[in-house]
Amino acid sequence: MVSWEIIGAWIAAFIVIWIYSFAFRDNVFYKLAEHIFVGTAAGYSIALAIDSLNRVAIKSLITQPTVSWHYIIPIILGMLMFFKYSRKYYWLARYGVAINVAVGAALAVRTIPMANIIRQIQAALTPLWGSDPIKLVNNWLMFLITVGGLTYFLFTIFPPKPAPGRTSAIYTLYRALYLIGIYGMMVGFGALFANTIVTRVGFVISIYLIYLQPYIIATIIGVILAAIGILIEVRRRSK
Amino acid sequence: MSVINVIDRIFGSRYVLYLVLIIALIYPLIFPIGIPIQISSRTLAVYNYIQHLKPGCHVYMELYYEVAARGELEPNAIALIKQLFDKGCKIVFVSTMSTGPLIFSLLKSSAPDVFANKTYGVDYVFLGYVSGGEAAVASLAKSIKGTVTVDNYGNPVDKLSLLKEVDKATDFDLAIIVSSGTDTFNYYVRQWYTPYGTPLLFVALSVIAPSIEPFVSAKQAIGMLVGQRSAAEYELLVGRKGLGIASMDSQSLSHFVILIFIIVGNIVYWSKRLEAKKAKGGGR
Amino acid sequence: MSLTIRRFIPQTIVSIILIIMIIFYYFYINKSVSDAFTTWDKALSDWAVIITSFTLIIGGIDLLRYHLVQIKKIGVKQLPFSGTTIALEIIMVIFALIGLYYSYVYPKLGITITTQPQFTWLFTYLYAPTDSAVYSILLFYIASASYRAFIARNPMATLLLITAIVIMLGNTSLGNLIWPGFLPLRDWIMTVPNTAAFRPITMGVGFGTIILGLRLIMWREVSWLGRRE
Repeated sequence: MVSWEIIGAWIAAFIVIWIYSFAFRDNVFYKLAEHIFVGTAAGYSIALAIDSLNRVAIKSLITQPTVSWHYIIPIILGMLMFFKYSRKYYWLARYGVAINVAVGAALAVRTIPMANIIRQIQAALTPLWGSDPIKLVNNWLMFLITVGGLTYFLFTIFPPKPAPGRTSAIYTLYRALYLIGIYGMMVGFGALFANTIVTRVGFVISIYLIYLQPYIIATIIGVILAAIGILIEVRRRSK
Repeated sequence: MSVINVIDRIFGSRYVLYLVLIIALIYPLIFPIGIPIQISSRTLAVYNYIQHLKPGCHVYMELYYEVAARGELEPNAIALIKQLFDKGCKIVFVSTMSTGPLIFSLLKSSAPDVFANKTYGVDYVFLGYVSGGEAAVASLAKSIKGTVTVDNYGNPVDKLSLLKEVDKATDFDLAIIVSSGTDTFNYYVRQWYTPYGTPLLFVALSVIAPSIEPFVSAKQAIGMLVGQRSAAEYELLVGRKGLGIASMDSQSLSHFVILIFIIVGNIVYWSKRLEAKKAKGGGR
Repeated sequence: MSLTIRRFIPQTIVSIILIIMIIFYYFYINKSVSDAFTTWDKALSDWAVIITSFTLIIGGIDLLRYHLVQIKKIGVKQLPFSGTTIALEIIMVIFALIGLYYSYVYPKLGITITTQPQFTWLFTYLYAPTDSAVYSILLFYIASASYRAFIARNPMATLLLITAIVIMLGNTSLGNLIWPGFLPLRDWIMTVPNTAAFRPITMGVGFGTIILGLRLIMWREVSWLGRRE
């Protein structure tokens, strides 16, 4: 008995294969799958926006109007955003955006000095002398690379470069920290690259286990269709 | 034609690279090798922290990832949920990403055994998707019931018994952020940890982990679980085999293959460069 | 006058909200002021949540408009593709609205937008696999980049390469089979040099956000106004 679940699973297997076929060559099936993705993603996000709006604002206005009467204001501001399509009244959309921009920025700005700056400085300032050599090496590395990185990101003030034949202690220190900063960041980016591989392999493994392995016949048919799509594309290009 | 040129021609074709990688990836999934998995001290620290939470504790779990990231984050989330449920802890799930309801339904269907003896509304609640990003996170920290009136399934939140016990950030013993984006971790550090001091646990994609490491190091989070590797370790610790353990062999083999690509790429590059130098007559 | 309502009032709103939300967060005057601030601070966050929902809807409508224009521009050739996008988007919204209707008219059925059966089918079998596949296709490019681009050309690239290889081996069970030290070494790299390398970036984000806030207060940041006039 063919159920909607089986049909769905077959379509899912087809779509996955068609999207992967792009890694080999662009083809008509990839284009179709891509448009399916865009359409469903947009439809889904509109639906979920309506869902959030309903659960946060509308239900609240119906069940407890005395508490949440002020939700009328953002609803009106939100509706005014549709004026962005108007040539004459486009500026009405700015009122809603103004609230969003201001609240977003205020929420971030008021806690960021503590979260991203003070706590980070505190964490970087570890004891630079002591008896445990391993801890000492770690603390020095942490301190030097952090300061080095900050030096690298200095875009406004630099110590002046000394004239040829002369040396400047400040400039030498600046260059040394700058280099430590760059090399430190290279270690960071190396870690980033290695971890990217885990993520991408992980994505493909889960796709294979969820969508392809259980529906192997659908996968094979999907591959054949993608191959036909690629062949058509190759012939079209060669003409 | 020299050996190097032959190798370059073979590896230079991206189809060969893809094919080798696909075989390395799929073969261990069909015929598992069973390479033993070592448990990292960082994963163990997270496990011990949760083991030391009081039984019946309240945990908040943000599910912020698109479906693609399921393979890396879902096994971690399931293992954590199992450990928490086994301890009798209660979990409030929420998502500030629109895919939230979809991934929660997929998560539940992936681990029916974990949710089997748990009652909705008493042991766990799913608040659904709340739009607004950082504003939503800040609003939920102040009051959940003041932010959403009904949960994902249309039940009024004041009728759910779990939400009679918890409402704001300080009511939770732990907030777990399962996210595929960097911003979410920033939001929670800024809106939950900094003003209220709620302990945070990060569950991040491997690719995101390096950039949020400073928060963990500054003790703004109690720890971090990173991708499929941590998932495999955590599954071993909680004793439930899942996607994490299943994918480790495949991860190993595909990493090995990519490592070979890198090494061969370097050998070919340097051999060609030395050859070119020789042809020029000993270089500069 | 027109410039006032078009630009100056929205910009003033931004400045006032920013100043009030920041000042009252740090300074305590008395309990009643603090309580009023807490209430309105929460209300403003909720307002932003509500307005964001509208922006998402507008984003979807923009996409619809774009595809209609594409069909008009390219013609019949584009119709099957853009048509698919438009049709799927509209169908999903219709099913969502049916779910919403049921949640109000027959609440006992327990059907809402996200539990409406057809909507669930569409997102489980069309949206979920496409989303997963689109994001994971990068693996193939990594494979080809690891052969072509990941070369130890200079000392910096060599350091990057060595770190990456150590972490790759630490991340896999095979690496630990070769040498059990790879896992602790990976953890050390992640917690010490990597943390130190990303810390200046974290701090830079902090400074950048503070400067953005100041620019907004002082009307120097105007990109959010959209259209120039």
